[in-house]
Amino acid sequence: MLAGLAGEAEPYRRLLDELSRLLRAFYGRRCPPGLDAEDLVQETLIAVHSRRATYDPGQPFTAWAYAIARYKLIDALRRARLHLRAPAEEADALFSALDAAGGAEAAMAARDLERVMAVLPARTRDLIRETKIDGLSTREAAQRHGMTESAVKVAIHRGLKSLGGQYGGSDVEGD
Amino acid sequence: MSKATDELIARLSADVPKVAPGAVARRLALGLGLGGVVSTALMLVWLGPRPDLAQALSTPMFWMKFGYAAITGLILAALLGRLARPGARAGVLAGLAAAPFAVVAAMALARFALAPPQAQHDLLMGHTSMICPWRIATIGLPLLAGAVWAVRGLAPTRLVLAGLVAGGCAGAVGAAVYGFACDETSAPFLAIWYTLGMALVAALGAAAGTRLLRWR
Repeated sequence: MLAGLAGEAEPYRRLLDELSRLLRAFYGRRCPPGLDAEDLVQETLIAVHSRRATYDPGQPFTAWAYAIARYKLIDALRRARLHLRAPAEEADALFSALDAAGGAEAAMAARDLERVMAVLPARTRDLIRETKIDGLSTREAAQRHGMTESAVKVAIHRGLKSLGGQYGGSDVEGD
Repeated sequence: MSKATDELIARLSADVPKVAPGAVARRLALGLGLGGVVSTALMLVWLGPRPDLAQALSTPMFWMKFGYAAITGLILAALLGRLARPGARAGVLAGLAAAPFAVVAAMALARFALAPPQAQHDLLMGHTSMICPWRIATIGLPLLAGAVWAVRGLAPTRLVLAGLVAGGCAGAVGAAVYGFACDETSAPFLAIWYTLGMALVAALGAAAGTRLLRWR
């Protein structure tokens, strides 16, 4: 790091290399589902680089770098919590995005959607697809499957919620 | 392991400008210095220096007041420098920050206890107690802005604590500036109302810390 502060490129590159391995181990253990550990590694490397003036040569380098890594993890969690507050609405938003988007974007979203929905029971999947994508009303879907309207609503809600639980972080359900 | 990360490392280490030592202290000094200039201008235009400033400069009480605020500000500025560095320990500075408050509180208590009962109310309340904390807080605001600018360009990792100390430092330097406009001279007054003014800015800094000091 001292070499980095002095502007020497090669030792500095080796340091970042070594650090990226440490960070990968650090985030590998701590990164919650829904966050990408490699993203955090990269963000931390950028922060280490751009804020290297705050490194005090009298201080252990790892203490400094890990403090940044922890800050980055907390910051990422803070951001994730902000936009994953309402998972059921999130899933709904995904469907309307699919409605609104055209062309390649829609195809991509559709592929994501298929993959995401694969975890649901087949009938719930059909119900969600019919009401949210094909545009059937709850009553039409109920007739088609020989269910009551309220059973359809409950199944769809449960399906969306479990998707939200799966992709919205573990703190959504239970506590 | 990851190609994107390797490329990032190559890009970052391709251009490594030298970093001069003392960058943290310089940035803090710049932020607080500019804030201090604005605060002083605000004090001069808004309140004006106390009319008897020339005589006051030769009284110990004026310098005791100035010393209390200025020393508190200096200690908190040093502590802020620590908090702006990831992984740095507050160490003895955290304890040291309490010292000026303890000294002034002890002086205030002694002064108050030894005063005749009929004089005690004036010692405590002066004639500006209701406006003094607000004026100190107002004069501290440009300093808080300067401190926030400086710290968010560094790398604070405990944002509420850093906001608290940034606010405390701004409040203390603001109180030192306000001392040139204020003619209160009793230690009990100082211990309560000046301290309250500093605490207002500190509370503001702590409350806004997470929002204002976040960096990416």
